[in-house]
Amino acid sequence: MASTSTSHSATEHPKGGVGPLILNWVALLALTATTFGVSRLPIGNLHLPAAIFIACVKVTLVVLFFMHLWHAEGSNRIVFVVSFFFVIVLLFFVLADIATRFPLSNSRIPPMPQVDQKLVPSGMPPGMPAPTGSHTGEEGHR
Amino acid sequence: MQHSAAAQQLTPEGWLPPPPLPHHYDDHVSHANAVRFGMWLFLGTEVLLFAGIFTGYFTFRAYFPEAFDQAARHLSIVLGTLNTFLLLTSSLTVALAHHNAERGKNRNAFWLLAVSVMMGGGFLVIKGFEYHEKFVEHALPGKFFNFSEITAPGGPVFYVVYFFATGLHALHVIVGMSLLTWVAVRAWRKEFSPTYYAPVENAGLYWHLVDLVWIFLYPLLYLV
Repeated sequence: MASTSTSHSATEHPKGGVGPLILNWVALLALTATTFGVSRLPIGNLHLPAAIFIACVKVTLVVLFFMHLWHAEGSNRIVFVVSFFFVIVLLFFVLADIATRFPLSNSRIPPMPQVDQKLVPSGMPPGMPAPTGSHTGEEGHR
Repeated sequence: MQHSAAAQQLTPEGWLPPPPLPHHYDDHVSHANAVRFGMWLFLGTEVLLFAGIFTGYFTFRAYFPEAFDQAARHLSIVLGTLNTFLLLTSSLTVALAHHNAERGKNRNAFWLLAVSVMMGGGFLVIKGFEYHEKFVEHALPGKFFNFSEITAPGGPVFYVVYFFATGLHALHVIVGMSLLTWVAVRAWRKEFSPTYYAPVENAGLYWHLVDLVWIFLYPLLYLV
């Protein structure tokens, strides 16, 4: 306790040097170029996963080295890891819901046969507005 | 009057003595750890705040993929990439400012923080140009949307997500710039030393979080 009033005895040792920080910055810029390049590749549906993966790598670099979580006390790491875990829980269940949506009808009834809309008489029931616009063929799926 | 803090003598090392330790801490290390832990807890809640917006992004993207694709093509990749560069570089200068502050090199820390604030300002100026273009095009949220080049359904929804996500992020940039300015002034007064640099560290942590959010926003909005 007597040592706490002096300026050096209880000093935390400053961690890391300038070099790793600058290296980290170069790596982040390289990853930014990579994410741009990957977004121009003809990889179809993989664009979104690839972009998210590269963003996660960049975030990890920032958190570990710019934000010093590499050196930090364990409690700080738990806070951040847990909050990211909860983000993943949120996204997973929301996206799992959206990805598995199905038409809200009784599945035992066979689906309506696809009818060529041009063959359907254009007359609407009384009181209904006349069909308009070009999206009528698509409306049934929403 | 300008040097009200200079009534205190600089230590031989060239910085002001640290403020008195709150009595319930044994030493400044446990104090600094507690302060840092509090900041991380706050950042955890910030992550969850932005998580809601990202959830909205993915939800509406799944509903309106064509509109999101068309709208992304009307964002300037050049400006978005330039802004990414500005934020990543300002994160570096903030990290270097922290590095200097914890060694008592207050002048270096001041200039690095000042450069960081300027890069934050540059980010906002560029963001302002992008917003201006959207307003001119009427590429706007909800009922204000009147942009003929996005024909697929869901265009107004994309711009709700776009303006809400980037707007909340820009608000964080403004708050972060204010915090960095405040600690820059304190660095100018030579307040920071190896035993007291928590304000630089925490303002820096906030700024890095702003950077983190943008690292996700940039590819999601501009690239894919």
